[in-house]
Amino acid sequence: METDFRRVVVVGYGKATGNILKYVDDKKTDYGYSLEFIEHEPHALSVTGQICKERGIPYASIPDKKKLGGYLGGIKEETLILSASNNFLFPASLVERENITIINFHNALLPDYPGRNAPSWVIYQGESQTGITWHYVTAGVDEGSIIIQKTCEIGPDMKAYELTERLMDLACEGFYECFAAVLAKSVQARPQQFSPDRRMYRSTQVPGDGFLDLKKEPEELYRLLRSVDYGKSDIFPPLQTLVDGARAEVLRYRKIAPEKRKDEEKMLYLSLADGNLLKIKYRLKG
Amino acid sequence: MEEKVLEILEEYCEEAISYTGDNMMEEGIIDSFTVINIVSELEDAFDIEVDAKYVVAENFRNKEAIIDLVKRLVEE
Repeated sequence: METDFRRVVVVGYGKATGNILKYVDDKKTDYGYSLEFIEHEPHALSVTGQICKERGIPYASIPDKKKLGGYLGGIKEETLILSASNNFLFPASLVERENITIINFHNALLPDYPGRNAPSWVIYQGESQTGITWHYVTAGVDEGSIIIQKTCEIGPDMKAYELTERLMDLACEGFYECFAAVLAKSVQARPQQFSPDRRMYRSTQVPGDGFLDLKKEPEELYRLLRSVDYGKSDIFPPLQTLVDGARAEVLRYRKIAPEKRKDEEKMLYLSLADGNLLKIKYRLKG
Repeated sequence: MEEKVLEILEEYCEEAISYTGDNMMEEGIIDSFTVINIVSELEDAFDIEVDAKYVVAENFRNKEAIIDLVKRLVEE
């Protein structure tokens, strides 16, 4: 098995990155490249560092954007950079280098939903299907030619973190399918076709502007609640709301059967069209 | 209380019940997505708030650590 790439650098965090790192490490001897891992955004529950330790993969944590850009910019040999669950934007000066090829996993079906937190936006917009895209990285965000895409359904009760997990599994599947072609430079990449109203989602944008408007339909509120639900990760601030004119913050929510209703303080129940109740626990703000 | 915690653990990660080591995350018994589900269930079952500062591998290293965490939060 042959490749011109002498070095493979994995940048990212999380489950998909860990699995990809293991896969690329397993193939290293067949192709003869060196492998290293860079963590740009440390994560409390991340196990990628441990994977590197167990397998003897060189590992560095470079949270500073400038330093990371400088480090990657110093690479001289022909290198493939794998960006998986990574929010670092590669500078144009690096992307345009002849000895550097970068591929990125985006958690939506490009050209739709480019930018940040795509799983949230597809849930919030009520899409029934989404997927992942592996694409070549160019100077424009999520604009490079498509290597491979995989689709999945969005379940009616799916939360952002559940969809994210599904997409990470799909990202791994897609990667295993295309990695050999990427190494061989034989991918038939497909340029993206952009519509004039293509919207770029930014990290500062929050579905529903972060406000749970209780005057809206319960189904819409449930979509909003699910779309910002990443467990304890602070990807989005807690949703704000108004309860009887008082400012409040949403603590948690759950869809329950009517017979499970248990009236408590600071708890709202809204009737959903499917006969269930949307239970919302909140706290008043001072 | 212990029984309820174990019931939740069993629902999301059966292996965690029989696990006797002290790092379920590094050993791949439990992953970050399972932790999110478990935390959500625990909050609902015990009407507690699990602050993000407690959602670290140390507090999810085995079932005993999770039970201890819930005990501390219930007593708070």
